[in-house]
Amino acid sequence: MNAKLVFAALAATALVAGCATKKGFEQPGYAYGCPIGDQKVGSMNDLVKAKTAMEGRRTTIQPTEMRCTKAGDLLKIDANLNNDSSSVKRISYKFRWIDREGMRAAEEETWKPLMLYNNSNMMISTVAPNAKAVDFRLILMSGE
Amino acid sequence: MRKILLATALAALAAGCAHEKTSYGDARGVETVTNQFGSTDLQMIAEAMARSMQLSPAIASGNLPIVTVQEVKNKTSEYIDTRSITDSIRSELQKGGKVRFAVDAPGMTQQVDEIKRQQSEYYAREAAVEKGQMVGAQYRMEGNITSIVKEVKNTKDVYYKFNLQLWNIRNGLLEWSDEKEIRKTTTR
Repeated sequence: MNAKLVFAALAATALVAGCATKKGFEQPGYAYGCPIGDQKVGSMNDLVKAKTAMEGRRTTIQPTEMRCTKAGDLLKIDANLNNDSSSVKRISYKFRWIDREGMRAAEEETWKPLMLYNNSNMMISTVAPNAKAVDFRLILMSGE
Repeated sequence: MRKILLATALAALAAGCAHEKTSYGDARGVETVTNQFGSTDLQMIAEAMARSMQLSPAIASGNLPIVTVQEVKNKTSEYIDTRSITDSIRSELQKGGKVRFAVDAPGMTQQVDEIKRQQSEYYAREAAVEKGQMVGAQYRMEGNITSIVKEVKNTKDVYYKFNLQLWNIRNGLLEWSDEKEIRKTTTR
């Protein structure tokens, strides 16, 4: 009986340790590789909300996934845009780059036009313009 | 005579009333006035190429490689100031802080003239630049832009392809190359 208890305790410890190791992949202040600062990001949805802003005419196109990594000292971003409507949508997008102090790390980017087929996804990728750009916002605007 | 005078006065009045409005716009906004090569195309190409080039091992190594800008050939059927495209790419890369640029062929005459001017008797010898101190580039950047234009009764489709290459001058190897494609369709 005691042996069973010890075994159960060991298994539970191993499970907890296993989970802790998996969670340990993410650096503090990062979610899915993207910088989040002090914000609470518990899911991909939270990350997308924290990193996306709409300007001008609003669009129904939504990012569904965002992942970041470092290419040397430059922040690299992949964002998946989803058009779940039954019509072709046209949008414009740009990234806004922010430095460690929360200031603009680079000049405002150009708006980039994009066409998304109906019921489709499109991955947009970018890389930071300089090493000072450690954070970002994805800005979307309807192009209709 | 009176009729002519009246007509002239009316025409002058109409011209005066024609309301012309000028306003400033967003220089980085999407421009779709015609489907010819425009500011949005230039800016998108410059941004895409500079960002991509920064990731190439030759640039990302952090050794501040020296690059010289050569010609981007315009193989399209329309007039495009390709120098403006390479100028924008150069500015973007320069701001990235990972590349240095050596004086290019079109700027060489001005560079040499300035060195000669400083070596004239009007300048203090100790402060004047010396001959033989210029640094040659390790890489050269060149490219081309092509287009395919298709037009039927009510539709005009233009496809642009901008290709840029980074060549190692010492060994002639292609270190990096990338393309940016743009499609614009106009329907009446």
